[in-house]
Amino acid sequence: MMSHELLDVRDLKKYYPVTAGFLSRHIGDIKAVDGVSFHVREHEILGLVGESGCGKSTLGRTILRLEEPTSGEVLHRGTDIAKLGKRELRELRKEMQIILQDPDASLDPRMTVGDSICEPLTIHNIGDEKERTERVAELMEQVGLEAAQATHHPHEFSGGQKQRVGIARALAINPKLIIADEPVSALDVSIQAQILNLMMDIQQEFGLAYLFIAHDLSVIKHMAHRVAVMYLGKIAELASKPELFQNPLHPYTEALLSAVPSVKPKGKERILLHGDVPSPLNPPPGCHFHPRCHRVLPSCSRKEPELAEISQGHFVACHLCDAGDL
Amino acid sequence: MNAMSNVILKITNLKTHFFTRRGVVKAVDGVDFELRRGECLCLVGESGCGKTVTALSILGLIDSPPGRIVDGEVRYDNLDLVKCSARQLRQIRGKEIAMVFQEAQSALNPVLTVGDQIIEQMKIHLPMEHREARNRALSLLEEMGVPSVERVMSSYPHQLSGGMKQRALIAMSLTCDPQILIADEPTTAVDVTIKAQILDIFRDLKAKRQMSLVFITHDLAVVAEIGDRAVVIYGGKNIESAPVSEIIGSPKHPYTAGLIGCLPDISQTTDRLASIPGNTPSPIDLPQGCSFHPRCSKVMEVCSQREPAQIAISQEHQVSCHLNQ
Amino acid sequence: MTRRLRDIARKVGRPLYVNRRLVNYYWERTRRNKLAVVGLAFILFLILLGAVGPFFTLDPTLVDFEQKNLPPVGFTTLKSVYDIETDELATSEVRGIWTHPLGTDSKGRDMLAMIVSGARVSLLVGLIASGIAIVLGTIVGVLSAYLGGWADNVMMRFTDIMMTFPFFLLLVLIVFIFGPRLVFIVLAIGLTGWTGTARLVRSESLSLRTREFVMAARAMGASDGRIIFRHLVPNVVSLIIVIATLSIPGVILAEAALSFIGLGDPTVASWGIILEAGQHSLDTAWWVAVEPGIMLFLTVLAFNFLGDGLRDAFDPKSNI
Repeated sequence: MMSHELLDVRDLKKYYPVTAGFLSRHIGDIKAVDGVSFHVREHEILGLVGESGCGKSTLGRTILRLEEPTSGEVLHRGTDIAKLGKRELRELRKEMQIILQDPDASLDPRMTVGDSICEPLTIHNIGDEKERTERVAELMEQVGLEAAQATHHPHEFSGGQKQRVGIARALAINPKLIIADEPVSALDVSIQAQILNLMMDIQQEFGLAYLFIAHDLSVIKHMAHRVAVMYLGKIAELASKPELFQNPLHPYTEALLSAVPSVKPKGKERILLHGDVPSPLNPPPGCHFHPRCHRVLPSCSRKEPELAEISQGHFVACHLCDAGDL
Repeated sequence: MNAMSNVILKITNLKTHFFTRRGVVKAVDGVDFELRRGECLCLVGESGCGKTVTALSILGLIDSPPGRIVDGEVRYDNLDLVKCSARQLRQIRGKEIAMVFQEAQSALNPVLTVGDQIIEQMKIHLPMEHREARNRALSLLEEMGVPSVERVMSSYPHQLSGGMKQRALIAMSLTCDPQILIADEPTTAVDVTIKAQILDIFRDLKAKRQMSLVFITHDLAVVAEIGDRAVVIYGGKNIESAPVSEIIGSPKHPYTAGLIGCLPDISQTTDRLASIPGNTPSPIDLPQGCSFHPRCSKVMEVCSQREPAQIAISQEHQVSCHLNQ
Repeated sequence: MTRRLRDIARKVGRPLYVNRRLVNYYWERTRRNKLAVVGLAFILFLILLGAVGPFFTLDPTLVDFEQKNLPPVGFTTLKSVYDIETDELATSEVRGIWTHPLGTDSKGRDMLAMIVSGARVSLLVGLIASGIAIVLGTIVGVLSAYLGGWADNVMMRFTDIMMTFPFFLLLVLIVFIFGPRLVFIVLAIGLTGWTGTARLVRSESLSLRTREFVMAARAMGASDGRIIFRHLVPNVVSLIIVIATLSIPGVILAEAALSFIGLGDPTVASWGIILEAGQHSLDTAWWVAVEPGIMLFLTVLAFNFLGDGLRDAFDPKSNI
């Protein structure tokens, strides 16, 4: 199988300076994304999972340059997005789109949904009036809405329908990569399944690649081909889906997996993590996870583990793996 | 019968309607269940199905107007809570039946420390010295698995994480050793690892305090983890109630089956999720007959005409569906 | 240049009157507030009165000393006349007559005609001055919120300075320099009155700017102009309408107050001017002051009722 790298993220960092006092003294940085590297291949769904505050949403937005990166490279087919000028960036936006979490907030309440779906076409000046109308109708049907609903306003739709509109809008200019930022976590259970199925269908139909961001491992497991686990601004583990779910190497991944409630009874004893995710302003020294880790070593609080390839395509940042003590 | 004497709270044909300009919103329209001593009963349903309104109705917390309990009975300890005076209800709320709300952030007062709020809660019902109350608050927080108790006591809500706030809320609800604890989606807004911790707390409450729990959630996986019995609510009615293992193992109502089918599950791999088509109905405009019939995969002609009656499949398993008639 | 303007015009969100579904929706919501409907009816009546009323009334400037100080119809007053023959003050009763249904003032001018032409002046003052203030305030508010950083700082500090500026002193100064001309009074009210609007619009736009649909528009590659005109402005329009309905009565009152203390334009019979003239003859002709007073009171009340109703209608959280 030929697989090209559509997106290559190298050592990406996004820091938010924290200032205090009258003169806005710089007292530190919130390291929301702190040296993240990964790639997304064409037609691939890369799942990005982590708890709230781990920086996964910021990562998605920094890749699209909705937030300016502090340092690092984001290569899209070899072009560094982080260095593009305003005009080139606008052109590149045709290639990458975003689907946001909250369907209520992601549509302009004053615009008809037809206008919302049409907006990317208007912005990029694609087609004339008639072609755009046809395209909007086509898109609406593709995502399971009726074309006649194009003149309605968002408040006339349910949450699931609004998310369909968001998907149609993202598809309008035929992007190759869609960053889906928690696209189903605000929806009802019975609606989640509809939207996940729809996203699977269009991924196959249009040969899309997704960076699928979620906090729910069962959703990730359903959608992704490869999975990256993020903790406090860094990638803790990255592997193909079967590998990650069957052979998790990082204790955090292990704990996450065992914490997910399931309707099927589990054989294994649950690993209960203690405490909360620490503040990214003041992360623990060494491995950021060590204060909550159930397999902590003395070296964990001293040295930060590097993300290393343990086996083919399986990357882990953990001292347990350095020591070969699995 | 032994099972009967065990029942601590019994709700019969509860109907809570809201009278708005746009019409009557039948938020709860015939819910029945009983809660037994020391069990965890889960109310399962999607947003707008009436599960939260049911809980608020039990405690008499429905704003009137526009809402009113138009019919039904909530029997607790020889009292019908629907007919109780406001004063009697205040005696029961918090002391006998306590509630944990979903949004920990808005359920806590932002200008008071967590400790002050717990202590205040205690003083409403119990005559207590400040010192005594404080000690009790400390021990409650410890029971909730809060690491540095003193620090949390003197913190304001915004200084705490979501999980910590949720714990403080649970501690607050336990101040008077209530008989029944109603928890409204306590695990919805928190992360997986915190969710596991909170579920653990509830499990402990059941095991150590023999507390009777009403656990409201939309997440069947959570139900499977914590529930003893479950009541599935759709369109303001309970459509199926059974022990959790039966609900999950052999659901009888197509909606219950659909809900289970559309859950992406961590323990297995599927190509495609089964999904329930359509949208959750608005409680102002419920479909005729069985309110689930427009979305049902096994719909029959009778479904749009007549509302199905509740029938007992076994002593413990009731379902309202024409398929089982 | 014109093409550029047309481009911008195209970018500006479709006005509400085109969006019929949305208008209907808001009208339905407004209609539920009875007071707002009454207020709206009264305002429409006033506009009609100001627009066509003057064609049906007497000339408001016509002076007729024979007919001075006539009371409104249905009222009587006592008039003292010095009788040369008896060398005494004779008191006679004067009745209102239908030629002057609202009576006349001390120069015999028809009160009805003056009230009607005053309605036109007061409404125009209210609309124009509020219009200037709201356009300025919206521009400053939206730009300040969208640009952020130092631009926001500069604009907001300027707003602060404007807010603390003694508005009254400015007016006295203007009247002193240019003479009491209505145009300058309107301009002065408009050019100083935008600060409140700017702050409200800014805080609203700030929260809109972080909403996800703006994020989505940026991800699509939308230009700054498009985000401002297509997404921010249409979403603050409802707020602006509410501010307008609540600020118009304030402006009308401000003009009346200025007139009342003698800073008004004496050549134009606004309600404030009539009121000011009437206060000197309260003992002989109370109606000259009372009639414009009632009109001012009702107008301000009507705008406030409508403003409250609109605010509730536009607020998606209010359950009406």
